[in-house]
Amino acid sequence: MLVAAFDWTFVSENADALVTGLGRTLWVSTIAILGALVIGVVLGAARAHRIPIVSQLAAIYVEVIRNTPILVQIFFILFGLPQLGIRLDAFTVAWLAIMVWGGAFNVENFRAGFEAVPLQYREAGYALGFGRLATFANITLPIGGRIALAPSINTYISVIKNTSLLYVISYEELTTTALNINALTLQTVETFTVLAVTYLAIVWTLSGLIRMLESHLALPEGGR
Amino acid sequence: MTIPDWVEPVVRYMAEVGLKGTLRIAAASLVGSAVIGILLGTVLTINFRPTRALIRLYIEVWRGLPILVTIFIIFFALPSLSSRLEFDPFTAASIGLILWGSAQVAEATRGAVESIPREQHEAAAALGFGWVGQHAFVILPQALRRLLPPLVSLLVNIIQNTTIAQVIGAAEILETGERSVERLTAPPPIGPGEVHAFEIYAGVMAVFFMMSFPLTRLAAYLERRLT
Repeated sequence: MLVAAFDWTFVSENADALVTGLGRTLWVSTIAILGALVIGVVLGAARAHRIPIVSQLAAIYVEVIRNTPILVQIFFILFGLPQLGIRLDAFTVAWLAIMVWGGAFNVENFRAGFEAVPLQYREAGYALGFGRLATFANITLPIGGRIALAPSINTYISVIKNTSLLYVISYEELTTTALNINALTLQTVETFTVLAVTYLAIVWTLSGLIRMLESHLALPEGGR
Repeated sequence: MTIPDWVEPVVRYMAEVGLKGTLRIAAASLVGSAVIGILLGTVLTINFRPTRALIRLYIEVWRGLPILVTIFIIFFALPSLSSRLEFDPFTAASIGLILWGSAQVAEATRGAVESIPREQHEAAAALGFGWVGQHAFVILPQALRRLLPPLVSLLVNIIQNTTIAQVIGAAEILETGERSVERLTAPPPIGPGEVHAFEIYAGVMAVFFMMSFPLTRLAAYLERRLT
């Protein structure tokens, strides 16, 4: 009955708007994911190697972000910061808030990954005459990064899902676009079906990728 | 340093209305997620394809959708199907969080139940327990130990995600904070015409931090003690 009532012209009539919205979702996600990757590797390395001051500051950053709701963080950046004279446009708030959140979770992913690399491997690097940076780039990063890859993709999936919260700042990504279409057309069933199917397609593709990577990239010695 | 006049009524409003609202959604969501999740997760361990496929679909759908989208579906889409499916913001948000939370618990329960050695099932069967009795009195009490750390983590996530209810207008902490900001910003005679968004949203963050931080520590401690 529901399938019969589904008005397929809805999809073709609103395709342009929906594709634009999806494009914005993916664009903000891409920026946020790349940023979170850099934050995760750099601060995760600082945490794992206990680099003074940087490590402590990174710990505070991680705890504050992980223990407060992302929606409140978005409100804080959008409405709280202008009081200090920091005014950001919707697009900047969008990628910044999502990136800062993803970065904090990624620091933990990479810290755990780097710490799982046995100390002897690093010592072997020093014995070969590598400096600290060369040891990190040639030994800790490839092995620890491989361990951190699956959990970090999980974080990126959450990053993509979190872009839906940009609805509150009226940034016209996928969810905001769908809600606007719904307000105009009142084709509620069609709107939310398309919205849900789109998110599930993205999320299921990525979680399928994780399962594939986990079997392909598993370390021969189980990470030891 | 004295506390400015605007603070006291805002704190009282946010504590009496907002905090109460947040705890109401969080409590309903935690209980609902735990009950439904443990039930589904236990049934998921039965090797019967149709039920497994159905529960897997349930888990993957509600885990895969952004919670905001789930809540929008419940709040905006369900009433268009039937007028009996019309919910107030608190109920809609709680249902959304339960769908998402029970999916998380179901997955964790499956792992916990499967980690209990086969001998425990056999011993329970030898004592004359049927499938329900085996699980209710022998398997689940043992699995619960393993389930405790993920349940505490879930509580942290539920508390943080209650803020999503703000989007559909439920008077939880963030919503009462926003209303306070707006009231203070309004020019006289309605309000004092002062901007205190920075202090209020920083305060909201602090409240959530104080609720979440001890719980994340507890979850990490339980996790360590288990392994």
